[in-house]
Amino acid sequence: MTMTKNGSDAIIGRFRQMIENRHDYAKSVKGKGQLLAGYMCTHVPEEILYAAGIVPVRILSSHVSQAMTRSYIHETYCSFSHDCAYQGLQHNYDYLDLIATSSSCIHMSEAFNVWVRFAGFQQKSFLIPYPHIMQTKPAGDFLVASFGEFKQFVEKLAKKPITEDDLERAIKVYNQNRRLLKRLWELLRRDQPTVTGPEVATATLASQVMDKQECNQMLEQLIQSLEASLGKAPSGVRLMVTGGACDDLGIFDLIEHLSYSVSLVFIDSCTAARYFWFEVPEDRPDKLKALIEGYLGRIPCPAKDNVPGTGEKKRFRFIQQFIEDFKPDGVVFLYQRFCSPQPMDVVALKPILEKLGIPSTELELDTTVPITQFRTQLEALVEIITRVAP
Amino acid sequence: MNNGKIVAGLDAGHVDTKAVIKRGQEILVYSTVATGFDVVAAAEAALNHALDTIGISRHELAGIVSTGIFRDMVKVAPLNVTRTVPEYVADVKGAFFLNKSSRTVIDIGGNIHKAMHYDQNGSLLDVIQNDKCADGLGIFYTTMARSLGLNEQEMSELALKSTKDVSVAIQCALSAESEAIDLMCQGVDIADVADAVSKFMSERVAAMCTYLPLTKEIVVAGGLAKSPTLIKHLSTLIKQDISVLSLPEYVGAIGAAISYEGSQT
Amino acid sequence: MPYSLTTWNDFKNYQTTCYRNYLYAPQGLRCMGSTWSILAPLKGLGEDIHLIGGEPHAASTAGTFPDESREDISAAETGGLGFHSCSYLKLFTGEVIRDKIAITDRTIKEGYPRPDVIWTTHLCSQHSKWYQEVSRRLGGIPMYPIDMIGGGNAEKDPKIVNYVSDQIEEGIGWLERVTGREFSDELFIKAARNEIKVLVLWGNICAMNMAAPAPLDERRLIALFPPAVVDRTTDETVRLYEALLKEVRYMVETKDSVVPDQRYRIVYFGIAHTYGHPEMARILRDAGAEIVASVYTFGTCGNFRGFVNGKWSWQPLDLQWVDELDLTTRRKAITELVKIALGWPTWQGVRSYWALEQMARAMVVEYKADGLLLAPSRSCETDFRNGYIAMQRIFKDQIPTVEYDTDQVDVRKMDLPGAQRKTELFVHLMEAHKKGGA
Repeated sequence: MTMTKNGSDAIIGRFRQMIENRHDYAKSVKGKGQLLAGYMCTHVPEEILYAAGIVPVRILSSHVSQAMTRSYIHETYCSFSHDCAYQGLQHNYDYLDLIATSSSCIHMSEAFNVWVRFAGFQQKSFLIPYPHIMQTKPAGDFLVASFGEFKQFVEKLAKKPITEDDLERAIKVYNQNRRLLKRLWELLRRDQPTVTGPEVATATLASQVMDKQECNQMLEQLIQSLEASLGKAPSGVRLMVTGGACDDLGIFDLIEHLSYSVSLVFIDSCTAARYFWFEVPEDRPDKLKALIEGYLGRIPCPAKDNVPGTGEKKRFRFIQQFIEDFKPDGVVFLYQRFCSPQPMDVVALKPILEKLGIPSTELELDTTVPITQFRTQLEALVEIITRVAP
Repeated sequence: MNNGKIVAGLDAGHVDTKAVIKRGQEILVYSTVATGFDVVAAAEAALNHALDTIGISRHELAGIVSTGIFRDMVKVAPLNVTRTVPEYVADVKGAFFLNKSSRTVIDIGGNIHKAMHYDQNGSLLDVIQNDKCADGLGIFYTTMARSLGLNEQEMSELALKSTKDVSVAIQCALSAESEAIDLMCQGVDIADVADAVSKFMSERVAAMCTYLPLTKEIVVAGGLAKSPTLIKHLSTLIKQDISVLSLPEYVGAIGAAISYEGSQT
Repeated sequence: MPYSLTTWNDFKNYQTTCYRNYLYAPQGLRCMGSTWSILAPLKGLGEDIHLIGGEPHAASTAGTFPDESREDISAAETGGLGFHSCSYLKLFTGEVIRDKIAITDRTIKEGYPRPDVIWTTHLCSQHSKWYQEVSRRLGGIPMYPIDMIGGGNAEKDPKIVNYVSDQIEEGIGWLERVTGREFSDELFIKAARNEIKVLVLWGNICAMNMAAPAPLDERRLIALFPPAVVDRTTDETVRLYEALLKEVRYMVETKDSVVPDQRYRIVYFGIAHTYGHPEMARILRDAGAEIVASVYTFGTCGNFRGFVNGKWSWQPLDLQWVDELDLTTRRKAITELVKIALGWPTWQGVRSYWALEQMARAMVVEYKADGLLLAPSRSCETDFRNGYIAMQRIFKDQIPTVEYDTDQVDVRKMDLPGAQRKTELFVHLMEAHKKGGA
């Protein structure tokens, strides 16, 4: 395990607490008189909310094993969507002033629908029509209208207009957050990183449930502390995770606590790198269009990734770049059981990894996780990589 | 009314075949035989065992009514049942017979679970049955108990000793079993695993129940109703008091026997 | 006496001809796509365009060749597609993997005919990826997916109509570049009017089932809509459906029906699942229960009045309106096509739960339903599953409502015993409801 200074340990500890006590944190933000908006998909343009003085917080799993939502949405939807639906029905998020999502995968759309239909969010919800294929040429114009409608809705909610200056400020805060997170992840490229993959994942996840300015302060302190520290050389095998939403940090801890020495060097998921690995251009005069340009240029979710003309999955370009930069020895596909788009990408990505000589394994996420089974699979992957004799 | 007439009800289920013999309002005897893979033989055995217990012969029966998943298979010779009734009809009749104040019965069987809602006359109003993923709860419970070297009753008692809240996968019995084993491999206390298994089953049943109005009194039938842990969790999940019918595993067979009078009109 | 449709064989022959053309045409352009796409733009490329659509082909293959279908699905799973993936997708991709294709005239051809282009859309999170996978396995077939967006009242939203229309304009340019053919607006506009006409015709035919007795049952309707999903752009499809509409109108006048005994009328929200559907239909038929309205069969390729003053109506559109549509320019034709496609119940219901709920309410009333039967498919995530579970919750205390598990074409996922039990239960509830009980 790489050594980190006490200061950075403490900050990471605070990030972890932020995730574990996110409802308390959110309520404390509300207590200061701010409005709160929950979001279920990272394609929601948070900057518009932030520009109106609303703090966006991502809806994460509660990891409660329950079957109640099977009478609201189908069995064979992912457990992440079931869990999010459940939390709405349990009124865990009643303190939110708004729940927003963009047209994303159908499973999460259903979770959103449950909140709207059955959990009392009818009057405080907004579905942002969002292109299902991000790479179409007319997508930008479409989003001008769509984001424009969302902005109007938010202005009504906040009871004040959102000016171009407001948007510019919000964009700067969010871009700063993205840059800081990127710097944090870049530390894992080092020969002697001062931080671990699970720790970086923790900070990234925490950023999604925090006020970004507060988060940025903590990130700056953390990065300062880490950049000033001496790290130990990463030992053993380098693993990269790619897949869907995963807010179960225990799985990332497991990866680095196998019977072998393993370092988790990158996570391509919407709860990790895909969340922030882009920027909104700051030099465009029209800030709404700048937002659209940024959001359309980000790493696409597999549910939205189909380049017209070629059928290319644009996300693969990014994955190959990550492989080049972070040099994993193996890849772990990590996605929710019953997810539709992720496994469809896996079948196309595996041949690419095979050509690169990178072994992989697949783990299916559920509300509860079979730790010993996962351990077996992960260790088998490591043994394949290190060619351990049977 | 069947004053004096002795009738038999057979509930040919996936796991067990139950026989009940009644006369008027009195249950004379009941018996259970494992269904196995010869459902007719099991039905015969259950009936014969019941008859032998009270010392009457087959020809003294005014009639036999069958219910359960295999009701149509057992209706032929040699049993030659008088009629068959669907399980949900039998369950309602049986539940109402045993508890005239009841209005909802939840039946947790070996393979299927269902809930029925009925009125003050015992007339069926609505039914909900489990979806495919939730099949086999009872069979799973028995399998889990056996893998722990226990019977169902012992497993339930063990679950009551749980001190830590752990969960297994909720998707289906297969994934629940897989994770139960995983928990055991991780060294989790067996009592906690037993409780997690009970909770899983209660979750699946409770989720199904929410489709119905759950009018009081709510009663529970089926062999698994004898698990106090399961009942405890179920009551918590549906946020209602529930009571277990006497002879819970015989509710269907009782209802079948009661249905004999329907075949006389 | 049950009525025998005179137009029956023509419908079968049309579907088979389309598939045979795709397989064996010595020249022309092979276009693969989705039945949910707008098809007319492809016809602007010439008069020798041969289509194959993923969903209808998978459905008809499963019905014609159950064993081959199982092999196809197995091959797809062995090839890496997950167990939980769409079974249409797996069957279709499995044929590509096995390099053989089976069609409705009982032909099994070795060697999968490579499409020249793929023209598709994005109905669900697997849908566009389906064709990405096929394209990849065939060495990289040029493909163009149109994002329809969808949603309730989508056809009335200018930003959606413009978005989709702009994509189609771009797509036409792409088709020219990729095929090297000059796009003919004349051919396109003709195909566009035919496409719209067929959709409105099918809506008219389905709306006839509001009569008592309903002239057609769902099993007949499922067998009659393939031409509209396989290729609805031809003069021949228009003739087919015009003839059918004439015949069905006659049946309504004379109170004839293919299933005269209709003691119970059922609204069905579910896919036409290949396995088990006949068994369910038999259980219902024995009780004199018939499915007279189905959101899938009606809404996959049919248009209705839709939302009128906030409430959904299954009343048909006026056919004369189609003849009078101004399609004099490419853009106008594109716009009208887009509006009609966005008006499909499926495109509305798949994205807006409230639209689906409204459709169900209207269907129950307008088709005078005695029961609502829900059959979500276990491997489909669109409106065949999305929203159905909640529908049971909403409707159960208003009308006998039962839901059973099924699957489009994967027999392993079809819960046949459970479905049989629940269908029997459904009949019992309808009987009791009619008597004033349940």
